Amino acid sequence: MIEARGLTKRYGDLVAVNDVSFEVGSGEVVGFLGPNGAGKTTTMRILTGFVPATDGTAKIAGHDIFEDPLAARRAIGYLPETPPLYPEMDVAHYLTYVARLKDVPRGRRKGAVDRAMERCGLADVRRRVIGSLSKGYRQRVGLAQAIVHDPAVLILDEPTVGLDPIQIREIRGLIAGLADSQEGGTGHTVILSTHILAEVEAICRRVMLINAGRKVLDGPLAELTRDGQRLEDVFTRVTLSDQAEASAGGTAEAAEAAQ
Amino acid sequence: MRHVGAIAGRELRSMFVSPVAYAILTLFAIVAGFFFLASVLGFDAQVAEAQQFRAFDYLRQLNLNDHVIAPFYGIMWIVLLFLVPGITMGLFASEKTNGTQELLMTSPITIWELVIGKFLAASLFVLLLVGMVGIFTGILFFFGDPELPKAASGLLGLTLVALSYVAVGSFASSVTRNQLIAFFLSLVLLLILWMLSIVADLGAGGGAIASDGLVSRSMRWLSSADRFEQMVRGLVDTKDLAYFGFMIGTFLILTKASIESVRWR
Ligand SMILES: Nc1ncnc2c1ncn2[C@@H]1O[C@H](COP(=O)(O)OP(=O)(O)O)[C@@H](O)[C@H]1O
Ligand SMILES: [Mg+2]
Repeated sequence: MIEARGLTKRYGDLVAVNDVSFEVGSGEVVGFLGPNGAGKTTTMRILTGFVPATDGTAKIAGHDIFEDPLAARRAIGYLPETPPLYPEMDVAHYLTYVARLKDVPRGRRKGAVDRAMERCGLADVRRRVIGSLSKGYRQRVGLAQAIVHDPAVLILDEPTVGLDPIQIREIRGLIAGLADSQEGGTGHTVILSTHILAEVEAICRRVMLINAGRKVLDGPLAELTRDGQRLEDVFTRVTLSDQAEASAGGTAEAAEAAQ
Repeated sequence: MRHVGAIAGRELRSMFVSPVAYAILTLFAIVAGFFFLASVLGFDAQVAEAQQFRAFDYLRQLNLNDHVIAPFYGIMWIVLLFLVPGITMGLFASEKTNGTQELLMTSPITIWELVIGKFLAASLFVLLLVGMVGIFTGILFFFGDPELPKAASGLLGLTLVALSYVAVGSFASSVTRNQLIAFFLSLVLLLILWMLSIVADLGAGGGAIASDGLVSRSMRWLSSADRFEQMVRGLVDTKDLAYFGFMIGTFLILTKASIESVRWR
């Protein structure tokens, strides 16, 4: 579903994303982990076409993000770090607008909007103005706009940041539900970024760890925590040893060594 | 171009849920009404004076087109120059502060669809304002008999000037995320465009630039003032129509380029 090859993004001298490659298969749920400033948001923005890569490319559902950007974007549902909402619109109008932008055919638009609202628990607030909703509900609207066109790939950037513990549980539940196969088909392919380890353990089956722009770890969650190791320890160890290697002039081998 | 309607529709809807749109419409109606009345009363006074002094030659020259409609349009043009930046300042800047830019730029739409949709929305709003000017002018036809073609070509001129201002304002809104900066940037651009012909006149008068030199001529060419006045006098020239098309096109292309360049920064 996602095929990223050598993604690199430079901001002047700063290399925000450094030669990152990975593949995500259909129906996989990947936790994209890394400390703040690691390059998670930048990687996701490249995949969604919001910022162009300096180098490398990616395919989403078989469509190259540079050669066929519109088709690639049609296959993606994206929840940015701050949900892209118009505070003056009501929930149903907003989602209908997004459905139009995402090329949901006119005849199917109402059904798509109703379904997204139902899945995200928004049916009761469909006529409420978005600006009057609580942060948790706004996050749900953000999630609903990401799934309204039933995309093959979901890219969620820190979907629970800034929420209270109860809201966090609700949103995690929603995401887990989206990932599960529905109505007989396979579920959405999901990449979800976070720096909260518990989130990954709660939802994801695969972990990808990024640090200082480089991918340092990638594997099934079960494997990483196989010998009773806690994810937190793995995270800390790999991140720290990677930093030590980097300052000692080392290269990506650090990741292999740590594994 | 199938997303243009969605983008323009959302923009207009958002304009009309905010009280600002109604405030602008009301304010414009009041201001237009005031200046319309002032022009009519001024005309009345001139006629009365001419009759009193039996200045029949002068009286014969007085007519609604040149002495009511033309000054009225002229003032409305200045009012629009200050009002259009307020209408366009949020077009793109607010998408950036909302974070909705990220939705737009990751949707399967083209930047042209976005730019045209925004331009259309603001243009429709501005056409409402120009429409009011048209309604006031229409009142004159009940009480006198101004020349319709002249009144219509002047209104066309006002429309084209206003649309070119919308294009300039769109560009200003696309280069910043701050609406206030967008407002002042478009105001400054519009004032510069407006003053070009005056500066050309002054420069030529003072001998600083040759009145038929390249500098003076290109300044004049870029300025919309002379063209607008031609149209108020009832002279519709394809060259002037092409000029407004050129200005609108240029600033929309600049808008698109500025949105793209943010992407490639
Ligand atoms: N538009 C930008 N201009 C300059 N530097 C940026 C920009 N966006 C991100 N960065 C830098 O790139 C690095 C990675 O940022 P980001 O991808 O947001 O990290 P994360 O999402 O993992 O916290 C950071 O050092 C950040 O400061
Ligand atoms: Mg981030």
